[in-house]
Amino acid sequence: GACRVSMSTAEIRAGFTAIKANIQSRDPVRSLSILSHPHPLNRVKSSDRCCITHHLLTFYVDKVFKHCTTEDSFLNRKISSIANSFLSARRKLGQCREQNNCECGEESTEKFKQILTNYEGLNVTSAAMKSLGELDILLDWMEKSR
Amino acid sequence: SGELYCSLPNPRNVRFESINMKNVLHWSSPEGTGNGVLYRVKYSVYGVGKWIRKPECRNINRTWCDLSSETSDYEEQYYASVKAFLNGMCSEWVETTRFNPLTDTKIDPPMVSVSSTDRSISIILAVPEKWKRSPEEESISLLQVYPGLQYNVSVLNKKTKKRWFFSISNNTLVVPWLEPGTAYCVSAQIHVTTPLLDSGFSKEHCIATLKDK
Repeated sequence: GACRVSMSTAEIRAGFTAIKANIQSRDPVRSLSILSHPHPLNRVKSSDRCCITHHLLTFYVDKVFKHCTTEDSFLNRKISSIANSFLSARRKLGQCREQNNCECGEESTEKFKQILTNYEGLNVTSAAMKSLGELDILLDWMEKSR
Repeated sequence: SGELYCSLPNPRNVRFESINMKNVLHWSSPEGTGNGVLYRVKYSVYGVGKWIRKPECRNINRTWCDLSSETSDYEEQYYASVKAFLNGMCSEWVETTRFNPLTDTKIDPPMVSVSSTDRSISIILAVPEKWKRSPEEESISLLQVYPGLQYNVSVLNKKTKKRWFFSISNNTLVVPWLEPGTAYCVSAQIHVTTPLLDSGFSKEHCIATLKDK
């Protein structure tokens, strides 16, 4: 769509790579994914991408980062740095969405509902930690759909 | 078979080693066990969770198992697990960390070909292919997997030992204004910015510019 996500995914990825093994080791549930099953993000139509990206940024800001505080200050610093990048990207994308009236097609609405259903299938802390552990899935999709 | 006691020490350092998305599971034998240990392997797709046995790696005595075919969809992520058996005893299943082929593979250096005139060198680079099941299968260049891929190229004047570095996006480079009749050595590296992946540098390819006419 007309809106571009201005966010340094390379910087976020570097931060996530530093904590990935630790975060993913806190998620013992192999049989559930928040973002990639049953419907992978890659099936989202390009016209819907702007809307679902904004939904996902909001999802991470409102439902993930705030529930991912750990006992490890290094992890917490990395998580809050990633959260700040998401906050600013969401603000810019939100402004652009309003100006360009980004369409929210049925498919992306359905896809996002599935993500919320997956999230609500676990208790909040587990769901948030699992979502955080899937950040590379989100970044892979965002970079591919540029 | 009789009841197995899972008191055998676990396999150690169970991990994927991946080059150009040829994804091979490796591990070390359990501590204190000599020869005769056999292993079984299973894997699962993250988010699906069903463990699938790998028949070709059932009761093997080697400490690796090629799971490239099973993990070839690089839009998925995977776990694999290994169990050891010896003299009627077994270990626990030991799992890898979550494996993401897209970010966790290593990339080979590019293939380099060079040609020269009297005052310039032309360099053509080729990206390695993604692993494929058989020669007949359609080739996928890693350029398709990592569209933002770039190259770092080093050119060394063998006489003066002066070296230049270039960062380029397309796969050809012409280096002009060189000295005739001089040997130059070229080496190149692949650089993917995100996810951050760098190949090693290729071995040097040396060529001499033609002598002055």
